[in-house]
Amino acid sequence: MIPRSKTNGRIEFIALLAAFSLFLSTVEYMIPKPVPFMRIGLANLPLLIGLGLLDSREYILLALLKVLGQGLVTGTIFSYIVLFSLGGTVSSAFIMYVLFRYGRKWTSLIGISIAGAMASNITQLQLSRLILFGDAARLIAPPFLIVGLITSVILGVFAERFVETSAWYRRALEKQL
Amino acid sequence: MKLNRVGDIVILALSITLIALSLGTYKDFSGEPEVHVRTDGGEFIYDLDVDTFATFEGPVGETTIEIRNGKVHVHDSDCRNKVCIAAGWVSSPGDWIICLPNNVFVLIEGSLDKGDGGGVDDTAF
Repeated sequence: MIPRSKTNGRIEFIALLAAFSLFLSTVEYMIPKPVPFMRIGLANLPLLIGLGLLDSREYILLALLKVLGQGLVTGTIFSYIVLFSLGGTVSSAFIMYVLFRYGRKWTSLIGISIAGAMASNITQLQLSRLILFGDAARLIAPPFLIVGLITSVILGVFAERFVETSAWYRRALEKQL
Repeated sequence: MKLNRVGDIVILALSITLIALSLGTYKDFSGEPEVHVRTDGGEFIYDLDVDTFATFEGPVGETTIEIRNGKVHVHDSDCRNKVCIAAGWVSSPGDWIICLPNNVFVLIEGSLDKGDGGGVDDTAF
């Protein structure tokens, strides 16, 4: 997928972030939730951190690895539920990447995180409207979106902080240049 | 570090607007109780406060419901056992009458905390 010569020291970012995402999926899966649809979105943290480190192809790869990892941990990889995960992750990854590329001056990772969470939630709501609930899906929309907003702000603050202070992140950035 | 960039504020504002809009969908469910009738021919909605008769076609014939004084019952039905007629009058949100042979489902929808619908019901009492 990525030529060997270009991967020196780069593929490790993807692998590390994907492993991080897998771990966070496990943590998230352990946390009891009132409704299974309510996600904290911990596994999206590597996607936020990876924004500054990866190019578009690598970013897509990371997003797909996240879906794979999440599917493995929750055991839903061969069920239709993985469609929700895939749809949400791909749309939020797309939105976040575009925002980061073209709007970094005006938005911090907090805004990007919120936008990603909203994109993911809206996609999943649309999917649940089409696949599961029909029009009744709009009933779960408000709590779903509110929880998404709150958790995405927290994740965004954390990611922004991490990017500002982490020595690992600084080294990784230098290595990239 | 703080939420001090234009884009952040715009995104946050958009998200909150979206949530507010999505909350608006709950309004449909807090209104006056309505009588929903689901039949082979589709779903019909009647006002519980307007006295009326309505007849629906089903697989075994006709089913007529009557709405009077904020209550609804099955007035007549071509089914065999007349369970729906025996069910009598219903008036609270969540109450229903069903005629299985004729595939007519009468359901009262509306906010549970309006009127006496949200209180302790007869069964619980």
